[in-house]
Amino acid sequence: MKIRGLGTINDSNPLVVIDGVPTDLGLNALNPNDIETVDVLKDASATAIYGARGANGVVMITTKRGTKGESQISFSSNFSVQEAIGMPTLLNATQYAQLNNDMLQNAGMTTNPDWTDPTALGKGTDWMGELIDLAPMQNYSLSYSGGSDNSTYYVSGSVFDQEGLVRNTKFRRYTFQFNKDAQVKEWIKFSNQLTVSHDIKSQGDYDIMATMRALPTQSLYFDDGSWSGPEGPVEWVGGIRNPIGTTEKNTQETKGYNVLGNISAEISLFKGLKFKTLGGIDFKSWYGSSFSPAYAWKPIAVETSFKHQSANKSLTYLWDNYFTYDQSFGNHTVNAMGGISAQTNQFDFMSGSVNTFLRDENNQLDNGLKIQSLNGNASEWSLLSYIGRINYTFANKYLVTATVRRDGSSRFGENNKWGLFPSFSGAWRISEESWFPDFYLLNDLKARVGYGVTGNQNIGNYEFAAIYDMGTYMFNGNPVSTLVANRMPNPGIMWEEVEQMNVGVDLTMFNQRLMLSLDGYVKNTNNMLVPMAVPISTGYSDHDVPNINAGQMSNKGVELSLTTHILRGAFDWTTSVNTTLNKNEIVDLNSDSPMYQNSIENSNISIQSVNHPMNSFYGFVVDGIFQNPQEVSNSAVQIVGGTAPGDIRFKDLNNDGIINDQDRTYIGNPNPSIIYSMNNRLAWKGFDLEIFLHGHAGNDIYNANRMTLEGMKVSENQSTAVLNRWTPGHTNTSMPRAIYDDPNKNTRASNRYIEDGSYLRLKNVSLGYSIPKELLNRFDIGEARIYLSAQNLATITGYSGIDPEVGINGIDYGAYPLTRTYSIGLNLNF
Amino acid sequence: MKNITFFATLTLALLLTFTSCEDFLEKAPMDKVSTDGTLTEADAVAMVNAAYQPLQWPKLYNMRMWTTDIMAGNSVVGANGGTDGIETSDLANFTASSANAAAVDIWRGPNPGILRCNLVLQEIPQLDIDEALKNRLLGEAYFLRAHYNFILVRVFGDVPLSLTPALPGSDLSQKRKPQEEVYRQILKDTQAAIELLPAKSEYGNSDLGRASKDAALAMMAKIKLTLASTNILQGDFYTSVINLCDSVTALGYDLALYNYADNFDARIDNNPESLFEVQYDGDPSEDFWGNANRSSWLSTFMGPRNSGLVAGGWGWNQPTQEFVDAYEEGDLRKDITIFYEGGPSFDGKDYDPSWSGTGYNVRKFLAPFSVSYEYNTNPANFVVYRYADVLLMKAEALNELGRTNEAEEPLNMVRDRAGLAPIEDQTQDQMRELIIHERRMELAFEGHRWFDLVRIQDGAYAVNFFKSIGKQNVTRDRLLFPIPQEEIDDNPQMTQNKGY
Repeated sequence: MKIRGLGTINDSNPLVVIDGVPTDLGLNALNPNDIETVDVLKDASATAIYGARGANGVVMITTKRGTKGESQISFSSNFSVQEAIGMPTLLNATQYAQLNNDMLQNAGMTTNPDWTDPTALGKGTDWMGELIDLAPMQNYSLSYSGGSDNSTYYVSGSVFDQEGLVRNTKFRRYTFQFNKDAQVKEWIKFSNQLTVSHDIKSQGDYDIMATMRALPTQSLYFDDGSWSGPEGPVEWVGGIRNPIGTTEKNTQETKGYNVLGNISAEISLFKGLKFKTLGGIDFKSWYGSSFSPAYAWKPIAVETSFKHQSANKSLTYLWDNYFTYDQSFGNHTVNAMGGISAQTNQFDFMSGSVNTFLRDENNQLDNGLKIQSLNGNASEWSLLSYIGRINYTFANKYLVTATVRRDGSSRFGENNKWGLFPSFSGAWRISEESWFPDFYLLNDLKARVGYGVTGNQNIGNYEFAAIYDMGTYMFNGNPVSTLVANRMPNPGIMWEEVEQMNVGVDLTMFNQRLMLSLDGYVKNTNNMLVPMAVPISTGYSDHDVPNINAGQMSNKGVELSLTTHILRGAFDWTTSVNTTLNKNEIVDLNSDSPMYQNSIENSNISIQSVNHPMNSFYGFVVDGIFQNPQEVSNSAVQIVGGTAPGDIRFKDLNNDGIINDQDRTYIGNPNPSIIYSMNNRLAWKGFDLEIFLHGHAGNDIYNANRMTLEGMKVSENQSTAVLNRWTPGHTNTSMPRAIYDDPNKNTRASNRYIEDGSYLRLKNVSLGYSIPKELLNRFDIGEARIYLSAQNLATITGYSGIDPEVGINGIDYGAYPLTRTYSIGLNLNF
Repeated sequence: MKNITFFATLTLALLLTFTSCEDFLEKAPMDKVSTDGTLTEADAVAMVNAAYQPLQWPKLYNMRMWTTDIMAGNSVVGANGGTDGIETSDLANFTASSANAAAVDIWRGPNPGILRCNLVLQEIPQLDIDEALKNRLLGEAYFLRAHYNFILVRVFGDVPLSLTPALPGSDLSQKRKPQEEVYRQILKDTQAAIELLPAKSEYGNSDLGRASKDAALAMMAKIKLTLASTNILQGDFYTSVINLCDSVTALGYDLALYNYADNFDARIDNNPESLFEVQYDGDPSEDFWGNANRSSWLSTFMGPRNSGLVAGGWGWNQPTQEFVDAYEEGDLRKDITIFYEGGPSFDGKDYDPSWSGTGYNVRKFLAPFSVSYEYNTNPANFVVYRYADVLLMKAEALNELGRTNEAEEPLNMVRDRAGLAPIEDQTQDQMRELIIHERRMELAFEGHRWFDLVRIQDGAYAVNFFKSIGKQNVTRDRLLFPIPQEEIDDNPQMTQNKGY
């Protein structure tokens, strides 16, 4: 989820706030039926209230509360079937054997004599078919709510049970929600929210990429019934451990326990002035365990049984104290607030592993013969904020909000802990003016303007500190301590500032039939926190690097939100469209040289460079396939002695006769220029239909999975795209020849793997039917709705990978199928 | 309304508490040492200990140094048919690019070592600690800095030369310095180490494995032999090599007393023949693939595939027929060094040549299950310098100075232990070939052959040899590795080697 383009190269996920408590608990820990509203705060003035952590936007989730005098029981159930889609098709045994023969012949190596007639091998083993299958999912929840004059309550419980698409994966979650409000005295009101959840995730030891790479020529089992494995020369049989065997023999389980809760008291002091104090906790603990038995895997046996167990705990406290003041004097309405917020987190873990068990089924840590490892560590962070805000409204026509906050973070050094972040917004409801004509075409017109600065401190906890790690060396078998400078410190690190300007207009037209919001924004990220480019030659780690405040990034865009009530009456149809046009650019990096990032197989794929979009792709440019030896000798040297007809010709961009690092250039932009979604709601009698579409356009994807699945350089299975490979008899193709070890480096980072990432997806379709009240009343049922729904039904895209919805850097690396879900559900209210 | 006054007061009090409590935001790492404090004697020793660690990494002696024998043509990768051996094959076939993973590793290995030495040399001189200890610690740092730079300069040619630690905020981009300048610093550092370090025999049992005068003398001999056989610096280096080798002998070494196989026996640490070795203890508590790993990779990597002979058995490093054919009849080292059909059994099991693509595997470093029960539990040290090497360096220097007859004695000491007849009455050219051959067989798979090939006759020897074994892509330029693309990307001052 990204709000208004990428704010920063660092973590740019928005802050999630559940019932006033900022949390890093995923939405997964919540029962969706308990959610009353989800609000997305975008502009700076709105997010200012969450300042320090709100720079990338805020998602506010409010859970349901009871209503006075309306007691209600709700039950909902849902059953779904999940289906894996989008996976590449792979070679069968015949096709693979042909490829392997081809690949080895081209490298002058001996081919497998058993494969002289590949067609005799038939289809062979479908490893992915063994790993992935349809899987059921179900969710049941029950809630009751109600209230009297002085208090309301909402209580719910749910069970969610999912089997994974991947063999032997399971997920189960239990949640409990308890919300209560009580006006205990006339002057004090207490509220509490409590979410408790427990989840269990279990799986075998699976690796989808390895499963795709496993050879179809290998059977699932050996003749004796044990899990098969490659036996023989590696260039024929490969070296992948039986990927289905490990999902069956090895087990992993994670159990999570989460508590998110707060208690608040609101005290009315005197007219309009209130004081609110809120104490909250966000507690997560998770326990992991894994066990792998000894097994005579081929080609490499596991000699000893092994158990690993870990216990992790993260506890965040929050304490907010605010005064609020609400007062109206004639046409003037003032509402002000001021207070402080303090938050601190402690994380710690312990883990250990032992090996060599007498019996696999008794695999407690106590049962192991040898202790292999024992680890543990702890870390902390804290935030302290002072905030003041004032809203002023005159005659419901002029609205002004001003906020100022001062945030302190433990993540910065002595002189840089504090940042000051002001914001301002104003609105003018033009349609309230007396001179504004009263006509049906334009019912409401509001102009808005906003400006604000928020801070971002999403970095490691201790990057300012100059520190030595401790480690171990040994002399003559005796361990000794070491004191190691590993990460380059950055004592001067400070707040990243996100400055936003916003101009917008809201219109309501045709007697509320059409509602339109149009916003233009400029979002500048200053002192952007970016990972420091540390040359390896300094001796400091080039992976574990501190962030530095470098440069400036700009996002400019337009947001349009249009809701039209197309039909009213018995047949009711509403459509809403949301569109964001965004342009991202790095304006300054505080350095003349660009920063290269996202290394795959020791080649950087992304570049951060001034005047270019963030995470631009960088690499070699393909210039066709060599068709004959003359073309090879007439062209720039690709790799000395490594090139032959059928290999890719890379462009010699600097015309120096040799292809090297200087021949890389900008080859793509992963940032979409337009993001769009459309929702349709139709209703007729008791039926309701909802259709949701979502898509991106204008972005490129680096399909790095193809580096593996179309490499044709090692004895591993490949996708069927390689059937189109160059051979002397099939030269009209862009797919190079197969050759062991790839001496020409056809698989180097190049625009060979860049694809258009635009797509439009039918994300959700649901059809519901509410049973008529008259019928229900006979059974004492208030409401009953049954529905059918489907997710990810169809996608229109030119992208050849599994799913065009990839991460922010636009690199598709690592395979997990896209899930299509069909559900049937029932909601009942009593 | 009394309540209101009460709460208002309470609230104000709370606000004031927070305001005065700004150390709420003071959080320091709990598992790391801040540099602000003063360093104790124990800290100083720990800083020096840290300077040894990069030697232990797979980026150096746990992998990339011994895989140079694959590049040198003694063996082929083998491995598992996946992508993990390609970088070594590419280097061995002279088709590597600047994204080569082995080149990145061997760049990532020495540089952190140099930083750690520079921190020691910056911080320790002003500490108020025992003077003898201080000298030893500085000597160790000089030795290690020279050792790391010596690896870099031979692998990459011109390299940056850091003598002080890089500071945050300063320009981190360093230019490459000409080899001559790098070598001058290496000579200076090694000389300082020779002067400051105690002899191996002066170390107590628990400090065995630290850099010693013996090791520094041997390293100096190797540096000077490299300079003598290349055109990088001018000087009477061969004579120095002879003197340095004699100084090692004078510390009390006699090859006749030492058993060849002891050098590779996982149960024997710092045996009397060894001058310097990288230490492992086989503790599996750290990630086997990470820098903190404490187990030797050699047996795990080199065990024959599907053989069940040793834990791991990943099939790396399969000797070529050409290498095996180079053994003289009766060479006792053959059965210790390699597996071949009909050779002696290992741990009670016979060797099956179908375990290897070439029909051979390396045996030298294998640790039976009784010593290492899992892939990550092998405590074997890796010997970097040993006395047989010193004798062969002396023989080479004598022969190059025309004292071919005198070269026979040190050469024959090595041959005698291998059960081979003495060499007598050779011409200088014949003797040169015999010494090169002897080095190849004596030091096989220990990471010496590549560095010998590229130094002898300033690389001309290597080019001829590689062409003779069918590696037609070789050029003089390709005897240096490519500077990693990741370094060039991060360091605008860095330039690429010719031919890449």
